[in-house]
Amino acid sequence: MNIEPYIAYAKKTFLQKTAYRFDHLMNILSTCLKIFIFLEIYRALYLGREEIGGITMAMVTTNFVLSMGLDAAFYIDDFFLPGKIWDGSIATELLRPVSFKGRMIAENLGNAFFKLLFCFVPTLLICVFTIGMVPPHSVEMFGAFLLSIILGYGVLWSISFAVQMLAFWLVNIWSINTIKNVFINVLSGSMIPLWFMPEWMQGVLQFTPFSSIYFIPVQIYLGQLSFREIFLRCLMQLIWIGIIYELGNVLWKRGQRKLVVQGG
Amino acid sequence: MKIENDTLFLAGIYMKTTMKAWFQYRIDAVLRSIAVFLRESTGIIVIYFTLLQFDTLSGWNMSEMFFLFSLLFLTYGIMILFFTGLRDFGGMVRSGNFDRFLLRPRGLLFQLIFVDADWFAAIGQGGLGIVLFILSAGKVGIEWNIETIIYYVLAVAGGVLIQGAIFLILATLNIYLLQTDSLKELTYHNFRKFAGYPINIFHKAIQLIMIYVVPFAFVNYFPAQYLLRKPGAEEYSEIFFYLTPVVGSIWYLAAYLFWRISIRWYKSSGN
Repeated sequence: MNIEPYIAYAKKTFLQKTAYRFDHLMNILSTCLKIFIFLEIYRALYLGREEIGGITMAMVTTNFVLSMGLDAAFYIDDFFLPGKIWDGSIATELLRPVSFKGRMIAENLGNAFFKLLFCFVPTLLICVFTIGMVPPHSVEMFGAFLLSIILGYGVLWSISFAVQMLAFWLVNIWSINTIKNVFINVLSGSMIPLWFMPEWMQGVLQFTPFSSIYFIPVQIYLGQLSFREIFLRCLMQLIWIGIIYELGNVLWKRGQRKLVVQGG
Repeated sequence: MKIENDTLFLAGIYMKTTMKAWFQYRIDAVLRSIAVFLRESTGIIVIYFTLLQFDTLSGWNMSEMFFLFSLLFLTYGIMILFFTGLRDFGGMVRSGNFDRFLLRPRGLLFQLIFVDADWFAAIGQGGLGIVLFILSAGKVGIEWNIETIIYYVLAVAGGVLIQGAIFLILATLNIYLLQTDSLKELTYHNFRKFAGYPINIFHKAIQLIMIYVVPFAFVNYFPAQYLLRKPGAEEYSEIFFYLTPVVGSIWYLAAYLFWRISIRWYKSSGN
């Protein structure tokens, strides 16, 4: 397989993003405001207490900065394929000598890479200098954290990929996609640190793909997991990516056979 | 039907048509309404789990928080039935569709208000407001009598007007600036996400914005404080608790004047 066209696609999306500077600045401001306000809420919840169940305010801060920062960076266009099915351009896309899936991955990666560099990093810097954030537990843990966020992105991407494939059968994918996002927002730890979930739910959540998106990377960053656990969690992230991607892939193959383009 | 009294008649026709358009696909309509309901519930689910762990937030327990949030969703659900046209005004201006309105022999604002109504948002958000109200209204210690009921109805009306005024102002800005989406995101949606919390926990600057700039505090916090008297109420002047309908009327009037003056300068983006 020739990788060059995909790199070109990724680069194109990356460059496209650089055109909207004002929008971008607003995005960073919005993310910072969101983090800032969530911390105010947690300060009111903590009422000056040092820690609750072993969780300090600094750990909560770190959780919000990392997960909300990453959440803003890991933006995935959930309507990439559905949009192409609606307007019929999927027909010409499939005739091209490049893989459509490959292109999807490439464009999303270009986007994510841009946002990671110019949205996540500035947000992180602002937060490091303005609010108390814990530094990474150790150099090795930071390395493992980086690996784990890549896998977290993989999980998030494959969920979006599989849901998008439903567009071959359903005209209205918006509702299902919105419900999918509710699950991700509540269960991934970006709006409520999963330490504060009821015990039985934490037990269940450990094994779902949602908690592996942001919460596992945060736990690794804070040094809450041993190397053995890190290995097992990352393995689980990989297994989830495999399962969900394969599910999407089956739908993708069936969908193409079923595809009816309206009009034209 | 005589021409001078056909306003109500026309509004009725518009309403019937928009209903028909929005509910053309039954299953789709149900699915979309449920999706909006669940999307807006995200914040509520988060509060539910958080308060399971922490019991109270600045003295507010779960039912009281639900009551505080219910006002926000209920007023939005009512407001959006009338202001969908203004929410989407920017798009209409950019596509040139708005020019069609200029040719019709009726008021522009009248047409914008009645031409469209986002029923899914109304059912999803208004429905959530009603659910939260039912869950909490009996448990927060409010004695429901004529006085409190009248206060509540006026507060809801004021809250609808306040948010309508914000939409009208943001729409009017489209006449001067072609693109206002990110401004709307920053000023309206961002603050709305947090308007459901007791505002006294926030930084002073954010409180001032929520009272004087984007006056969400009058939509739910002050009315709820009047009815519940939770800790923190003493930080604000007593008069704030009565001002919601006044603030709503003044803001709406100001927004309306801004619109009337600005619309004269409207230049089409089309050709």
